[in-house]
Amino acid sequence: MRLRSLVHLASLNLRSDVRGTAVNTAAACVGAAALVFFVAFGMGVGQAARLLFPGDARLVEVVPGAVSLGAALGGGALDDAAVGRLRELPGVEGAWRRLSLRVPIAASRPPEGVRMNWPTGFTVQVPVVGVDAGLVASDLARGRKFEDPPAGDAIPVLASRRLLEVYNKTIAPAWNLRRLPAGLDLMGLQIPVQVGFSIIPQKTEDRVYDARLALAGLSDRVPLYSLAVPVETVRRLHAEYGKPDTGYSSVVLEVGRPDDVPDVAAAVRRMGFAVDEGERAMAERVGLAITVTAGALALLALLMTALAALAIAQSLSASVRGRTRDIAILQSLGATAGDVRALVLAEAGLVGLAGGVVGVGIAWLAARGVDAAALRLLPDFPFRPTTFFLFPAWIFFLGVGVSAAAALVGALAPAALAARIDPARSVS
Amino acid sequence: MISLRHIRKRFRDGEREVEVLRDLDLEVPRGGFTAVVGPSGSGKSTLLYVAGALDADFEGDAVVAGRDLKTLSARERAAFRNGSVGFVFQSFNLLPSLPAVENTMLPGLFVPRGSPAPSLGQLRDRALEALDRVGLADKAARLPGRLSGGERQRVAIARALLSRPAVLLADEPTGNLDAVSGEAVIQLFSGMVRDGVTVLVVTHEERVSAAATRVLHLEDGRLR
Repeated sequence: MRLRSLVHLASLNLRSDVRGTAVNTAAACVGAAALVFFVAFGMGVGQAARLLFPGDARLVEVVPGAVSLGAALGGGALDDAAVGRLRELPGVEGAWRRLSLRVPIAASRPPEGVRMNWPTGFTVQVPVVGVDAGLVASDLARGRKFEDPPAGDAIPVLASRRLLEVYNKTIAPAWNLRRLPAGLDLMGLQIPVQVGFSIIPQKTEDRVYDARLALAGLSDRVPLYSLAVPVETVRRLHAEYGKPDTGYSSVVLEVGRPDDVPDVAAAVRRMGFAVDEGERAMAERVGLAITVTAGALALLALLMTALAALAIAQSLSASVRGRTRDIAILQSLGATAGDVRALVLAEAGLVGLAGGVVGVGIAWLAARGVDAAALRLLPDFPFRPTTFFLFPAWIFFLGVGVSAAAALVGALAPAALAARIDPARSVS
Repeated sequence: MISLRHIRKRFRDGEREVEVLRDLDLEVPRGGFTAVVGPSGSGKSTLLYVAGALDADFEGDAVVAGRDLKTLSARERAAFRNGSVGFVFQSFNLLPSLPAVENTMLPGLFVPRGSPAPSLGQLRDRALEALDRVGLADKAARLPGRLSGGERQRVAIARALLSRPAVLLADEPTGNLDAVSGEAVIQLFSGMVRDGVTVLVVTHEERVSAAATRVLHLEDGRLR
């Protein structure tokens, strides 16, 4: 039997049993809609979570050990020698230093070139951390350098990519400051600051001078509430203000493969250092929770799809039993057992395809409804997603494909039943 | 055209085995109009199903339209039913959900692989032509439920003619028809015989056997 003949006859049969077709299509539709809805939801929430917790699974943050027996026995300060040893660990592709600035820096005036209603007398203490250029090289704006500048030049800084969102959603409303428009190009923005000044009077240094910070890029590798400057700048300022060298605050190791991270972390601990699991562990925990939840929901949806297949199987079995004579008539006209089997499968396939298409549409509409409700009901918070769903093109094929496959699986037994009909016994 | 020799056919009825056809012999020449008459339960339909390759579970030799039915595989039997024979049943055996034209098109949908298959458009044209031959071109779009008994049987005949078979096998074709409709069906059969089609009818109606060129009696599983 040719495919066009098969589809033609299957369509005619489906049209002749509108109620049965509608019930089977609805069953397939529910399975597809649930599957697409939950998978899209899992991916959408996962994407939103990655914005909130942009942890990099390949990074290991090494900090000095809580208890140190001295450099001779391992551990101790994170100095250049320790950084060299860490860099040599198997699986490590890079070791980047971080050094927290112990000289206070404060901003008492708004950034230049940005319209802000900076309150009179308002001063912001700016936490600063020095980082190696290599750690943030890929996040630098085009043409920007990240190195300690000559005296009098603006110091290049990188801010957290999340800072603008946090500022708009949290800081600006709290301090009644003007929000910054989305998509604003902040590169090159200069912030006048006072080096050595602290809002806590006792911590203000004897020498305070004016300087400027110039935004050179945005990075997920910069702590949320800090600005990153070149590590050489921090060392210079420490030298200027007579701060003793106590080693680096932390060293970020970049591991070639995420699978190697546990081995590298173990090696670091054997060296007497500690691993700051904080941000990465949080990102991993959130990721795991989302994966497990989305997986459970997808499993539930697959269960619904399996139930749909079962419903289709029952319905088609009843339909085949009711059409025994019709099938025998087709056999008397030249239909082979294979033709009969293919016909039942084609009917199921068409039902599955139709149910899948409708189900995917329903899932998409339901997702839009949930998004609209969330937008109306949820308070505005940093990184509040505009959608909790992600609909890549493949998800439509997944919905339709799984629905059709479930219908076909459900039709296997009825198709076999139909193919076993003996025309000589059933035709008259 | 139809050669059945030493045909035996048994059915199991609970514990009992019933022999319906007993060493039956039948020869029908090409273009003949043969009627097999006999009482109900005498095995007339079984004889037809054997000759039409609907029933392959029999003993003896059956050669129809040049094909030895015992040697055919299930697929080949289906192809034989599709291209070499046409069936007409007492209860019409139309699919109730399909319009007359779609019912008539059905054999064309099962053309076996390797044979030239017409497009759906060509098939529809052929079905309309066949319906025209039986005088039902104007009722092609009607569902069987909206046709009279005689019209339904004419649709069944049109369907049987679609593949231009060499042999037409009819099982009590006028059993459910009034006199006028029955006469129209008999006239159609006579016309087909004139066109070279071999017609084998099983019936218990005298008006059919009267139109046949040869009448055989089936009793106790044998033809007399």
